[in-house]
Amino acid sequence: MPRLRAATASFRHQASMFLAEPQWLIPNIIAPFVLAMVVLMLYREPSPEAVLYAVLGGGMMGMWGNTLYASGYSIQSDRWWGTVDAIFSAPSPLIWIIGGRTVWNAFIGIVNGLFVLVAAMLIFRTPLEVANFPMFLLAFVLTLLSLAALGMLFSAAFVLTRSAQVLTNGLEFPIYVGTGSMFPIFLLPYWTHPLSLSLAPTWGIDAIRYSALAGYAQGFRIGYWGDMLAMAALSLLYLVISIWLFKAVDRRARRTADLMRY
Amino acid sequence: MSEFARGSLRTFWSSAVLAKRALFAWLNPAMWLMQLFGMSLFQIAFFVYVAIFVNNAEVTIEYVAIGNALQSMAYVSVFAVCNITGEEKNQGTIEGLLVSPANRFSVFVGRAMFQIVNGLATVTIAFLYAALVFNVDFSQANYLGLAVVVLVTTFAMTGFGLMLSSLGLFLRTSMIVANIFLFVGLLVCGVNFPVAYLPAYLRPLSYAIPMTYGTEAARMAVGGAALGELSCPLGAEALVGIAAMLVGYLMFRWFERLARSRGTLDRF
Amino acid sequence: MTSIHFRALTGKVITSNGIPSTGERGMDDREIVIDVRGLVRKYHSTTGVLHQKRRETVAVDHIDLQVRRGELFGLLGPNGAGKTTTIKVLTTLLLPTEGSVQVLGYDAVKQPMEVRKRIGLILGGERGLYYRITARQNLRYFADIYGVPIAIRDKRIEEVLARVDLLDKADVRVEDYSRGMKQRLHIAKGIVHDPELVFMDEPTIGLDPEAARDTRAMTKELVGEGKTILLTTHYMYEADELCDRVGVIARGRILALDTPSGLKALVKDTSVIEVEGFGLTEMDVESLRALEGVRTVAANMGEDKQTMRVQVEDPGGMLPRVAHILEDRKVIGMKVKEPTLEDAYLWLVREDA
Repeated sequence: MPRLRAATASFRHQASMFLAEPQWLIPNIIAPFVLAMVVLMLYREPSPEAVLYAVLGGGMMGMWGNTLYASGYSIQSDRWWGTVDAIFSAPSPLIWIIGGRTVWNAFIGIVNGLFVLVAAMLIFRTPLEVANFPMFLLAFVLTLLSLAALGMLFSAAFVLTRSAQVLTNGLEFPIYVGTGSMFPIFLLPYWTHPLSLSLAPTWGIDAIRYSALAGYAQGFRIGYWGDMLAMAALSLLYLVISIWLFKAVDRRARRTADLMRY
Repeated sequence: MSEFARGSLRTFWSSAVLAKRALFAWLNPAMWLMQLFGMSLFQIAFFVYVAIFVNNAEVTIEYVAIGNALQSMAYVSVFAVCNITGEEKNQGTIEGLLVSPANRFSVFVGRAMFQIVNGLATVTIAFLYAALVFNVDFSQANYLGLAVVVLVTTFAMTGFGLMLSSLGLFLRTSMIVANIFLFVGLLVCGVNFPVAYLPAYLRPLSYAIPMTYGTEAARMAVGGAALGELSCPLGAEALVGIAAMLVGYLMFRWFERLARSRGTLDRF
Repeated sequence: MTSIHFRALTGKVITSNGIPSTGERGMDDREIVIDVRGLVRKYHSTTGVLHQKRRETVAVDHIDLQVRRGELFGLLGPNGAGKTTTIKVLTTLLLPTEGSVQVLGYDAVKQPMEVRKRIGLILGGERGLYYRITARQNLRYFADIYGVPIAIRDKRIEEVLARVDLLDKADVRVEDYSRGMKQRLHIAKGIVHDPELVFMDEPTIGLDPEAARDTRAMTKELVGEGKTILLTTHYMYEADELCDRVGVIARGRILALDTPSGLKALVKDTSVIEVEGFGLTEMDVESLRALEGVRTVAANMGEDKQTMRVQVEDPGGMLPRVAHILEDRKVIGMKVKEPTLEDAYLWLVREDA
């Protein structure tokens, strides 16, 4: 199956590139780590629940940041290296190549999330006690996949524009705010809620909180399984849109030669 | 004016123009405007909502909003400036620069010029957001004082960014350094909570960064403090900024010599 | 297969004596693998920040060409002539604005995937490879996305590395490679999936003479194996040495398309008066150009020394007249020479201007 092979090859390729320069993980770890620390400092003496809340949010931000950052840089780095032509003239559709890379990036997001978790646990000396581990794991994995799907969507846009870097940096805080990673989205003005709810990670963090925090009362009323369903549905939607977008991007790039120029 | 000064000034000015042109070469103006108007809003929003959620009596919405409004320049003055060496390296133009007879430091400072203007614009917009969107009370504010705070902080932080940029001459990439300092600032510069909250061993770091004095002065200015009262933190800030630039210049010369002997310039 | 000469000045198409030429290796009956008709490619760019002006550039202006299987075809032209654009259209990276492009029987616009499976692209230069990983890792990635069968992939990679003489450096990061090594890796990458048709865009540019020679030798080897190659170059000696047929392209149009001998025949009844001197100026060049009986003048105006190649039909008659124009100048040599492919090229390109 040539397409699947292109995807696995890209996954492996992304891994080799990453392992050649692992220090690039640092920026992605710094942001969520610092933000989680700020929140915890504000508490002065946070309760274990508060620590867990902040830590989970930090982990989520880490995963999200990595997906966004890496999707944005994926095609941009091909532009720098001049390998765009090689990728584009391959007989494998672009979406499978980018897809393979996105899966790796999402996977690495786990490392990100874990780092924040462990660091916060050490600094605040609170053990991580997750209420329901299997459900937590499930929510975590599904969130990861939904982030990969969202990353695909962004990748398509980044393939088209050279301003990927601006978008990548520009979307960071809006996503942290919009997905309610550090506070419930109900604090936000009501007219922003549809936007928040259209992002899969918003449902994801809620599901994660349901499974990790005993007595979590501020969640969405549809509960854990409702969240999971919403995430799955949204992820499917992102994938469908990505497929369409990549086709449009391929066509446009070949027409206007925008892809080639750095 | 001496030959040296005139030459440096010319290099300085043409670098500033280059920075502006280069910026628009790979962003279109729409993107730049989006960045200008969008970033600070969401950064302030994030911390404001966190503050609401955490509900710490000492740290009000005003506290957080003002701190982040001022800090919003950091992306431009620290991050972008720090990346000047990185960008030059990436585009392969750094060798050309370093062999030029132009005063190299003034080249970088010239490029930083544009970022200074960019930073001032960013902060102004951020304060507008603080007042109009987050309802910070500006009724008592000393606008002139606040303007001075913004100016001094912008220059001082740009100097700090230049110092970090010198590191980029030698390191594989300055992006990582820039990123670290961008976020560390949120933690230690009294942006979101008083420096006193930090453990004792971290506080010296806070006072080595100009922004720390800036946030304190900004809050005083919004509260109505007169220029005289502001002169204390501002003076300290200016000193720290100048010291950073000096250190940066020295590091620049040292790293330049080191890079030439070790040959790390031709690596990204 | 006919040779086509575009009489540059009148714009009329002239075929030479009506008898089809079979090229230097007799390929008349082989199938056509590249069939381009009426290719036009325009670019739109906008300049300025506040007042955006849209500008249309015609990079390729109605090109026709056919390449047969097993041929080594060269596109020869100065920088900006449209060579790279043409290659990008042929390799499905760009869509034509007008015209039809068939590669190996498939429509490059409607069936790009089929085309991509069967072609190799060697673009060369410093960019186009992943520096942070090794040659082998680069090739493994490209082999995978170009569809080399998994069963033979690793063996194929070894073969290709051996062929370009990079086997001992296969596990070194590409960033540590010399320019020549990178070029060899480019070639390896272009042939790893054993394509029938290979495109090479300025393959020897920036290479030292030895590396360039090795590249050319490899190109000939590939054709010897039955592959078809289309290469672009602005080095005339390269086109002369390698190509079965050459298309001279300038400003997006093909000025002439023939075998190297056929092109040289364009200048066969001419001679070149080669002048070397000091202190020769552009004005002298212009005076010579204006002289009746001079077809064209190509000048190399160095800082210390200048050389000019004055194309004339009657060297005997023209020599004294050229000498007369330059009599006040410091001329150290004036020789009559046989025209080369370069002269044909220069005449074509200059007269088209």
